[in-house]
Amino acid sequence: MVEIAAPVAIDAGTLSIREVNALIRTRLQSGAAEICVANPNARHNLGVALLQPGRVRFLGSVGYYCGGLIDGTEIHVEGSAGWGLAESMNRGHVVVHGGAGNGAAAAIRGGTIVIHGDAAARLGVSMKGGLVLVGGDCGYMAGFMGQKGTMVVCGNTGHAFADSMYATTCYVGGAIGNLGTDAVVEPLTPEEAELLDRLLTAHLPPALRAQKPAGRDFTKVVAGRKLWNFDKHNWKTWQDAL
Amino acid sequence: MCGILGYFRKGGGTDGQLGATMLSMLEALGRRGPDSAGVALVGPAHRAAYIVRVQAGDELEMSKQAIEANREAIQIFARALDGAYDLSCSGAYVRFVLAGDIDLPGLTSVIESLGEGIEVLSIGRAMELSKEVGSPHLLEGKHHISAFAGSHGIGHTRLCTESTVDLSHSQPFWGRGAPDVAIVHNGHITNYHQMRRKYEQRGVRFVTENDSEVLAVYLAESLNRGDTLRQGLDGVLRDMDGAFCCLAVTATEMGFVKDPYAFKPLVFAETDDFVAVATEEIAIRSAIPGDYKVAEAQVEEVRVWSR
Repeated sequence: MVEIAAPVAIDAGTLSIREVNALIRTRLQSGAAEICVANPNARHNLGVALLQPGRVRFLGSVGYYCGGLIDGTEIHVEGSAGWGLAESMNRGHVVVHGGAGNGAAAAIRGGTIVIHGDAAARLGVSMKGGLVLVGGDCGYMAGFMGQKGTMVVCGNTGHAFADSMYATTCYVGGAIGNLGTDAVVEPLTPEEAELLDRLLTAHLPPALRAQKPAGRDFTKVVAGRKLWNFDKHNWKTWQDAL
Repeated sequence: MCGILGYFRKGGGTDGQLGATMLSMLEALGRRGPDSAGVALVGPAHRAAYIVRVQAGDELEMSKQAIEANREAIQIFARALDGAYDLSCSGAYVRFVLAGDIDLPGLTSVIESLGEGIEVLSIGRAMELSKEVGSPHLLEGKHHISAFAGSHGIGHTRLCTESTVDLSHSQPFWGRGAPDVAIVHNGHITNYHQMRRKYEQRGVRFVTENDSEVLAVYLAESLNRGDTLRQGLDGVLRDMDGAFCCLAVTATEMGFVKDPYAFKPLVFAETDDFVAVATEEIAIRSAIPGDYKVAEAQVEEVRVWSR
């Protein structure tokens, strides 16, 4: 069972999601540094649209859309997360101790999302900034149409990785299922290897970091930029992409 | 939308809380599918007999008298059968056990010809299927599924997006013609009409307009051919188009298959003692206490657990 490290401020077990979120907001507004939410029971929409700084810890798994649309809040999930984790986050810091469902970090504009376990399909699609770091593997179509930001996957990826991207930079520690349309592998610079080592050390617990590859062993994937502008001579690429 | 779920006890004992666990999972998924709820539960196997479950009619579509007449006809038929015992009735359902080897398709069509609206819901040595239009609470009220002692089972809560809301279109679907085979499905089979036409040309009778039924027909045929459940589910991936998550049971196995696009959610938890699969983690957490990990299934993933 999850150990309760701090006094429990909110017991979600007996409250509606609306009540839980309202309580979190009130506590954050009154300047609470850390709020613990017990019994999240994998329910949906927990901690959405939080706009104040402060730390919220969910002492268990959360359901869909946890941390969606947040701006500046820090969220820790001591379990796993369902679909749409921190979708469209503006700024903030989200850490999931378990795995995350489909569409984690979709369309984030900034902030950091760290998933200690695996991420399912469509990780970080249409990212517009920020950092998503996955300790384990990720599923199908990660990075699709990513516009900016950084994606780090320590394990393997599913197929159609980094498909049709604008300018997200991806780093993969394991095997790439296969590359999506217009995704290309680019050599990793020593500065990037160093940056990856720094990121992994900063965001993963030491024991978990020790099991992951060294920064220099990651593969860098970026957009080949062939889809950026339409070119009728390159019709085949467009057919494949669509 | 729909919610699907499965629970499998690895030890295989049938003394446990299968029914109660399944009901609790169903209730958690109730809001994903308010139209109907159902389960296919696998209990202790009859070595030399089959459990036959028949629906005498749909209470929402037929008069009480018509259902009563059908129920009477089924009971008279069952009493006259050689080797039939444990005959019981509950609402529109008739259940009996039939000893000896039987011709499954033959028995099914004879029973269904006893009256308009009669449908054989399942035949198996260990599996029993119950479904009702309405909530899991209603299903429990009519069938007391929480008291069912068994080793594994699958369940479904339905939000109808096509075809109609009635008992027969509810899930699970029995793999008609194959004993102890049932499926639950969340999604859409987009080549349903082609597949159905193909089967109908070969004389297979469909009882609903629900696209999920074709999965049951497909798996029944595959298993009757001698395929393993894994081969059957691999075949679903090869031959079906669409967005789907499908869970299936046999007398000794439970498995799932997930589509190539991950349009439908499915998570699972596995420990040394049990496997729990559900559309949403909330169903697993609310039914099963303890410290275990829950992971989302990947695209084109097929998993089968057997004992």
